[in-house]
Amino acid sequence: MINLNGSLAINLDRLRPLTEPYADMVIREFALGSSGVAAAIVFVTPLADRDLIEQHIMRPLMSISAGPSEVTKHYLQNRVLAVSQLSVTDTAEQLLSKVLTGCTAILVDGMTEAFLIGTTTSKTRSIEEPISEALVRGPRAGFNESLSDNVSLLRSQGENPGLSLIKLQVGKQAKKSLIIAYMMDIANPELVAEVRRRVEKINIDNVAESGYVEQLIEDHYLSPFPQVQSTERPDRVMGALMEGRVAILLDGTPFALIAPVTFSMLLQSPEDYYDRWIAGTLLRMLRFLAAFVSLLAPALYVSFISFHPGLIPTKLAITIVGARVGVPFSSLVEALIMEVSIEILREAGLRLPKPIGPAMGIVGGLIIGEAAVQAGIVSPILVIVVAVTAISSFAIPQYNAGISLRMLRFVAMFCAAMFGMYGVILFVLFLCAHLVKLKSFGVPYASPAVPYRPGDWKDFFVRAPLSMMRTRPKLLGSKNKKRQGNESR
Amino acid sequence: MINEKDQITTIQVAVIVVNAMLGSGILTLPRSSATLVQTPDVWISVLLGGLLAMIAGVVMAVLAKRYPGQTVFQFNGRILGKWIGALVSLMFVVYFFMTAAYQVRIVTEVTSLFLLEGTPNWAIIMVFMWVSLYLMTGGINPIARLFEMILPVTILIYLLVMLMALNIVEVNNLRPVLGDGIAPVWKGIKSTALSFLGVETILILTAFMKRSEQAVKAVVYGVAVPMALYLITVVVVIGALSVDGVVTRTWPTLDLIRSFEYTGLIFERFESLFLVIWIMQIYSTYTISFYAAALGLAQLFNRPVAQCLYGLLPIVFIISVTPKDLTACFAFGDLLGQSSAFIFGLIPFFLLLITRVRKGKSG
Repeated sequence: MINLNGSLAINLDRLRPLTEPYADMVIREFALGSSGVAAAIVFVTPLADRDLIEQHIMRPLMSISAGPSEVTKHYLQNRVLAVSQLSVTDTAEQLLSKVLTGCTAILVDGMTEAFLIGTTTSKTRSIEEPISEALVRGPRAGFNESLSDNVSLLRSQGENPGLSLIKLQVGKQAKKSLIIAYMMDIANPELVAEVRRRVEKINIDNVAESGYVEQLIEDHYLSPFPQVQSTERPDRVMGALMEGRVAILLDGTPFALIAPVTFSMLLQSPEDYYDRWIAGTLLRMLRFLAAFVSLLAPALYVSFISFHPGLIPTKLAITIVGARVGVPFSSLVEALIMEVSIEILREAGLRLPKPIGPAMGIVGGLIIGEAAVQAGIVSPILVIVVAVTAISSFAIPQYNAGISLRMLRFVAMFCAAMFGMYGVILFVLFLCAHLVKLKSFGVPYASPAVPYRPGDWKDFFVRAPLSMMRTRPKLLGSKNKKRQGNESR
Repeated sequence: MINEKDQITTIQVAVIVVNAMLGSGILTLPRSSATLVQTPDVWISVLLGGLLAMIAGVVMAVLAKRYPGQTVFQFNGRILGKWIGALVSLMFVVYFFMTAAYQVRIVTEVTSLFLLEGTPNWAIIMVFMWVSLYLMTGGINPIARLFEMILPVTILIYLLVMLMALNIVEVNNLRPVLGDGIAPVWKGIKSTALSFLGVETILILTAFMKRSEQAVKAVVYGVAVPMALYLITVVVVIGALSVDGVVTRTWPTLDLIRSFEYTGLIFERFESLFLVIWIMQIYSTYTISFYAAALGLAQLFNRPVAQCLYGLLPIVFIISVTPKDLTACFAFGDLLGQSSAFIFGLIPFFLLLITRVRKGKSG
């Protein structure tokens, strides 16, 4: 620990060796106007705002007209430095670490303390539409990589003194700011405390993305299901906060986390609430159906073809068997070939530059599918099944929930190949057993379906008319239960 | 004692009781009861059998709620003294895992007959037991939640299938009502009452109830739902296949569902849908019986429940593969039913009597 000395020359001599590893650090010496007192500023070049330093720090300092005896800490703080964020420090280490975050330090001859001025600028993207969660109706704004921008996006959604923010730091080596947001008068205090406890327990050198936080605070890392929701949409975060859930925002990533989450929440989209309730309800049911298809369609195909052709209509069975006459593989291998290639296609489509993506889809999907059928490797019915499955998995609004179902689909196919329908039933039972055992921050993952909470079923399969949704979801144990007064409508 | 986290609601108890009862009975009840009754009055037997089961259930619930937070395995000892109590509890445990073994055997028989020809029985039994074990390791709460998930699906699909079968029901098959008097009906009660087995789980479930004073309510609702479903089953099955047709079939309900087709839908035949819910029901019956047995062992010998769950696994497996063929299997089932009449018809009644007398003395 090096304490700052009264002499500027000595301070700078001590600082210089410390700054050696930092090529981007600048030390600029000058005199405080007509007083002639020597001073120096320390900053790192692109990170600290040069404009601010030149216009609001150096210019006023260099045009001081007072005598040397009048130049005191108090005088500089109150009469000269026209900046809003100002603190002082008396150790060289703290000075350096602050400067490295973009602050500007001012050392003045004769003072044992240095001023630290917040001059950090960050180069951020402008606020754009979130790519992974596009909506037809709803706000177009999405989070970006700047924590302060993201917080202001939340704040700007209406005057709301209830929105409280807890600021924490995560990461041992690279310290990053993290904000836990919740509604003071709605969220269950135990939930907030639990989220905070888990975040504070994070002990890792670098938290690169909110995915790290997600994985470090989730309940069961062996489960295939996401137990924390991630989103790029401020309106989704706000909606969650209003239900009494807690959001976590991390600096440097556009993905905010929301906890707790239940399985049915992963199949909801903000649009359900923006559209009228009939459309919202039907779309939601469609998504449940899509989840079902995405999970089980290939497995059912395998089990019907290999074990129980008698259970499907006779004509269809004859068609399928006829189409499969030339296929040399068992239905499992056949389905695996197609499923794996479509997964590869999807993965490749993500990496490709934007203009090539659709072309790839056409080449992969249409041409390979068609050619595979003509070559007699797979049956045309299977191509239909696989295509419908793939499209269904895109209908799931949360990307990571879609991934869980994609993984489990393969497990289901193997179960079907071994035990037919019986295997599929047991797989579903196993999955349900897993879902009812799973909890996200103390909330049963399968709720509100089970345990029965009829009060919460207004926002489950059905999205009831807004005028009927007067209460917040009970499963979160929110403090403030009423959503609307009785008089509205 | 049961800790607070393990508590379940009254609705959940009712749901578990329903799920414990619905099982192999749906498939075999029309035959087993029609064989005894020999007239179309089976439905009256079902009604009376259900009432009888309800009375037995209420007796058990009244008994169990006198000892809140304690299962039958624990309060047996308090009523009967340590050794006799332990003996009776052991009897219950044996009954429960025998039932579990019977259920898993039945599911194997039906599966290998209708879904998986050629797959060895041990494979079918093993995966079934493992999937159930995974659920049971979570304790009573996940069990209750899963049952809550299964039940609405079951009832919905079941009613749908039965509604479709209405087409081939002939009212004449159900006539005459009480043509041979009331006597045949009495004979049938023996078989119909046994299809309500599962109600005895209330002896264990009451201990987990958040509000154990509602045990009677839970058991009444719990019996009412299967009673309604069984009534629908016998009326539709006998109405469609007639008494003579039912008596000669092993799985009359399944045969009924196989006997009609609706062209133009995705499925022309509905036995696959029906088997889905039926396997789920057997799964739930098996799970709760097995769990009750393991819990009983755990409480008798003061071991962790998990150990007993794993320990019982091979025992139940061996018992389930023991019956040589289907006939032996049904004989095993009949034996279970008869012993249960004694175990759960009489013992709880006596236990209740003893507690009453004692209370009278001390009061």
